[in-house]
Amino acid sequence: MAVRIYREPDAAEACDSIMFCGWPGIGNIGILAIDTLKSLLRAQEFGEIEPWDFFEPYEVTIEGGLLKDLEFPSNKFYFQRFNASSEHGRRDLNVLFFIGQQQPSEPRTRYAQGQKAYEMANLVLDVAEKYGCRRVYTSGAAVTQIHHTARPRVWAVPNSIRLVSEVKRYPNTILMSEIEGRGDQGVITGLNGLMLGVAKKRGLDAVCLMGEIPYYLQAAPWPYPKASKSVLEVITGILGLKADFSALEELSQKIEQQIEDFLESLYNTEAIPPEVRDEIEKLKYVEPTEIGPITDEEQKRIMEHIDELFDEGGRPDERHL
Amino acid sequence: MKDIFKFSNSARASAKLSQMSSVELQQPKFENPSLIVGWNKDAGQLNPKVIEYLNKQIGGESFCEIEPMDFFSLAGVAVERDAAQFPKGEFYYCQRSDLVIFKGSEPEFERYRFLNAVSDLAQHYCVIKHLYTIGGTISLIAHTDTRKILAVYNKKEFQEELQGYGLEDMNWRGTPAISSYLLWVAKGKEIPGVSLWTQIPFYLAASEDFQAIKQTLSFLDKRFNLELDLKELDEQTQLQNTKIDRLRQQDSEINRCIGALESGLSLSEEEQLSLIKAVSECLEFGKS
Repeated sequence: MAVRIYREPDAAEACDSIMFCGWPGIGNIGILAIDTLKSLLRAQEFGEIEPWDFFEPYEVTIEGGLLKDLEFPSNKFYFQRFNASSEHGRRDLNVLFFIGQQQPSEPRTRYAQGQKAYEMANLVLDVAEKYGCRRVYTSGAAVTQIHHTARPRVWAVPNSIRLVSEVKRYPNTILMSEIEGRGDQGVITGLNGLMLGVAKKRGLDAVCLMGEIPYYLQAAPWPYPKASKSVLEVITGILGLKADFSALEELSQKIEQQIEDFLESLYNTEAIPPEVRDEIEKLKYVEPTEIGPITDEEQKRIMEHIDELFDEGGRPDERHL
Repeated sequence: MKDIFKFSNSARASAKLSQMSSVELQQPKFENPSLIVGWNKDAGQLNPKVIEYLNKQIGGESFCEIEPMDFFSLAGVAVERDAAQFPKGEFYYCQRSDLVIFKGSEPEFERYRFLNAVSDLAQHYCVIKHLYTIGGTISLIAHTDTRKILAVYNKKEFQEELQGYGLEDMNWRGTPAISSYLLWVAKGKEIPGVSLWTQIPFYLAASEDFQAIKQTLSFLDKRFNLELDLKELDEQTQLQNTKIDRLRQQDSEINRCIGALESGLSLSEEEQLSLIKAVSECLEFGKS
């Protein structure tokens, strides 16, 4: 298990450094936000975590009888230094990124957990510390009762009480304690949660930013860029970065239309009953809440129908060589 | 490696262990052998049958096992063909033909570590010169067609060395099988290797394809001068073909489908499924 640094980043030691981490998850909200930020800053790849101890290869390439390549999910580090603005003025900032194509998990588990995930979290933080990062941001999804036409908020969870007052100042962001019916508790599954804990163990500040996604879309095969945009707005605010979100906005509109078409086709073919349609439509006219205008029973009924429909597109087995 | 492998020795095997004051490993005297790797499950039973036939005929002796703990779920045992199974990975050696054979279950977990361990042992303990993996590839061909052996090499020089054996180079991009993964691991260790993929007619994938088994063994026979006796496989092929011929006579639709394949035509998914069902039932019925 090793980190391979193939090009030392040109980091200025006097600068502050922060790291942003993104990996796939529900609606690919986190990875889309972090990958977009990486592109906006034109960050350069400088290293990777060797994948074979964590992941299975997903593609072999054979040409003219010769085995040319075996591809694994990538886990790469990127770097950029830029001049950030903040309430205290302008300053140079080293920004590191870790972007993983897959979360490591134990067999038969959906989210990253167990020894492999813990090892990966530590390898990522080894790199963060090596380059002087004192703060790490991760990003994912907050599944909630929100309609897909509504603007998603960002749930923020820091790994220290000390950071709560700072996080409260982020725009369009809420804390766990501000979500009705939740108290100030919850669980962050996967590598997002684990990273907060492992960073805390090492004395590093970490914040997880989770974009809201309608619960009836949590199993959908599409990304949910609207929530990624909300997350990105928070991050660019933190960095004092003026960014053009038009590409993300365009993608967001396309996906929203796709969702509308998909739901409309389900309503028309009565693949889901009219009462489930009414329950989803109700969400359009209310403020997003965790425990909201529809009951748990109604939510369960919607999920049973929608999840089944998303699961129907199974592909036939492919030949393996 | 000690945690992963359990070495045996002939003293232990012949039950003299109690008379010995200490156990001394009797390492086989390897002479720069080749390693042949086969997995326990395969289309047309090709892998297990080739390894079983080979081991029986050349007299391979087990010298090492892989401990299953880290690589398999040991929460229970799987039952297949009415019998309880247990994952196993075992190395055999035949000094006469200087061949190391590995026969194993495909690991469920930690595949990289498993393959790394297998190739490390082969490279450093057995000092192998070449790696061969074998396997069946399900093909849209008729059982009366000659089975091609498709080959994937991890080194150009080895590809050139094996010209003249009738192997067919292939092009492919897709999900890697464990043999391709092993070939890639071997490449990283500079072990020249080849994966042999023998064609299996799709409707024999669930049964035994004796012709494909023979084709694969014939290659190994020629490559290593093993002087294998393959008559038994000829008899089994003939018996199987007779049963399918009888089915063709009884069922005109099945006859038409097989005839289409023999003419190089394709079949619809529905036709393929009925052919698989009819042939599987015919061969299964014949067994009892």
